[in-house]
Amino acid sequence: MQRSKKIVILGHFGVGKTSLIRRFVTNQFSDKYKVTIGVHITKKVVALTSEDSISLILWDLEGTDDLDQIRDAYLLGTHGIIFVFDISRPSTFQHLKTDLQIVSRKIPDRPLLIIGNKKDLVPEDELHETLNEHAIQYNYLTSAKTGDMVEEVFLDLANLLNKDA
Amino acid sequence: MLKKYEKEFIGSNCQFILADSNSVILESTPAFLPIKKGELLTDLHPFFECIPSLVSLPERVHSFYCIHLSIANSKYITDIQIRSIEKGQLVLIQDLTKHYNNYQAVAQARNESIINEELIVLKNVELEERELFKNLFIQNFSHELRNPLMSSIAVTQILSDTDLNTEQRQLVEVLRESNANLKLLLEDILSISMIASGKLELRHNLFNLAKLLELLAFTYRTKATSKGLTFEISVDNRVPEFVEGDRLRLFQVLTNLLDNAINYTEKGTVSLEVMFNQQWANKIHLHFVVSDTGRGIPEDRQGIVFESFSQLTLQDKEKGTGLGLALVKGLLALMESEIALKSAPGKGSVFSFDLGLKVPLSFERSATTQSPSKGTSRNIGKPDRKYKLLLVEDDERIQTLLFKVLMDTDQFYLDIINDGAQVLEQVIQNSYDLILMDINLPNTRGDHLTKIIRDFPFKNIKQLPIIGMTAFAYEDHLKTFKDAGMNKVLTKPFDKEELLSTIFAYL
Repeated sequence: MQRSKKIVILGHFGVGKTSLIRRFVTNQFSDKYKVTIGVHITKKVVALTSEDSISLILWDLEGTDDLDQIRDAYLLGTHGIIFVFDISRPSTFQHLKTDLQIVSRKIPDRPLLIIGNKKDLVPEDELHETLNEHAIQYNYLTSAKTGDMVEEVFLDLANLLNKDA
Repeated sequence: MLKKYEKEFIGSNCQFILADSNSVILESTPAFLPIKKGELLTDLHPFFECIPSLVSLPERVHSFYCIHLSIANSKYITDIQIRSIEKGQLVLIQDLTKHYNNYQAVAQARNESIINEELIVLKNVELEERELFKNLFIQNFSHELRNPLMSSIAVTQILSDTDLNTEQRQLVEVLRESNANLKLLLEDILSISMIASGKLELRHNLFNLAKLLELLAFTYRTKATSKGLTFEISVDNRVPEFVEGDRLRLFQVLTNLLDNAINYTEKGTVSLEVMFNQQWANKIHLHFVVSDTGRGIPEDRQGIVFESFSQLTLQDKEKGTGLGLALVKGLLALMESEIALKSAPGKGSVFSFDLGLKVPLSFERSATTQSPSKGTSRNIGKPDRKYKLLLVEDDERIQTLLFKVLMDTDQFYLDIINDGAQVLEQVIQNSYDLILMDINLPNTRGDHLTKIIRDFPFKNIKQLPIIGMTAFAYEDHLKTFKDAGMNKVLTKPFDKEELLSTIFAYL
């Protein structure tokens, strides 16, 4: 039987949450920024093996710099979390530690991946310099624009959720 | 009556759906969503896949706001309430698309504005960092160039004092002119960098404006004549002889404008006009105009001529670096003025600016005519006695050149040391009249040594005139050296006259 897992995608506004999902689900990208209000929910079935698959229900939440403001109802029944920040905008990761504490408080004991998106906008050497400078811990650096590492993020989380199940 | 309106409103915007515990739709009111009995709620939209996880929760009512639903090729933005009831779930969906679309537009504008503002700040930080790097590069570059240029100037000077035939003298003259151009270029680059980094400060002093204009008239008449041009100068007779301002910077502005005019004029006239605008109390406003009959500047290029390294054509590369007008613009901005340009191809160019200067209300000429060059050349060629100098310099080429220059005057005894650590011992054991001190020395720095000397308990040592020599040309460096107690700091490259006049000023 195919299982469904709810994943919430969180982060400040304009970090590329919607673009990451769009790239993963439809393999498309648009440079035009459209603010997400409320929640967009999409679904993608991911094959884990030739015989096993998992249905990911992706909740793309409205971005906010105050994560405490996220409505608790949106987070009910969450199985996994993707937290996204924008590598090219320090304000989206300057308080990463505090942001993650809030996330852990609101959704305890769930697998969490931390993603630095828009890696295409920052030169490689500057990118690591910036992340080291701010002591940023992350799981993946992605580019929704080029598609770099996007699939890997969702597959990784799908596998984590599969193990959890 | 109201029931009818209520039914109309609720009917079109609200939909009630009853589903069993397996999410099978049992009943639905007819509204905006096309829902059939027997369908699965979870097949309608992935949102409804959350319902099973709600059943186990203690709360019986769950409200979800601003949920985007795409159903049957239509998009809705809705508020959804899910109530756990005996038979399963009652789902109330309210279509608020219009309302949320309005909110979306507001959020879009707000977020875009915040992001743009942040990106502008980041861009500015990046530009500032680049500017800082550029200025640091110029500063280091200029520092590295000064010592070899100093050697070149000194060697040229020594050469020109030897017996030379006509051809050799002409070659030395070319060398001298190249050195002078290089020195000027170095000063221009440094000035522009200092203006950009806010490090250039104006020095207001009383100076003889009439003499400055006379000097310009003489210099540019000569230059113009040698190029077959006419030079004209006109000064309003109400322009005061003495004014208070930054003489050096005004001189830089006018020489750059006049050099530019002569460079770009092939025939005709270059002129300088100084007009009197008005006087309020002790402040006068003058209007300076530099005009030429050169080839002129097309209107679409007039903005860029004030940018660094800009030239109109490739051929212009031979006529200069393109720094002059950028420097003029920067200096005038510091003086709270602005350069104006009127020009047209084939009709020449007119550069003009207004300048506010102070004039002393009660002014005694005798008090001012002396000081700036006090004693500058008083003893050259007529020494009362020979003076004993200590030269502290680690660059052997500069040691040799200064030795030659100073010995040629036959007015000095000279001790030379190249290690800062030996200076104090040397000063205590000898009676020097003056120290020439380099700044960057092995083991210590010239300014640190000066500080130590100034703290000495013995008056004859404590008050020894110390002239610093440095390739650091930024004003804050020079201020640091003066604050350390140096009487004067010579910036490399300096020439023989500058060196000797400075030495004699303190003997």
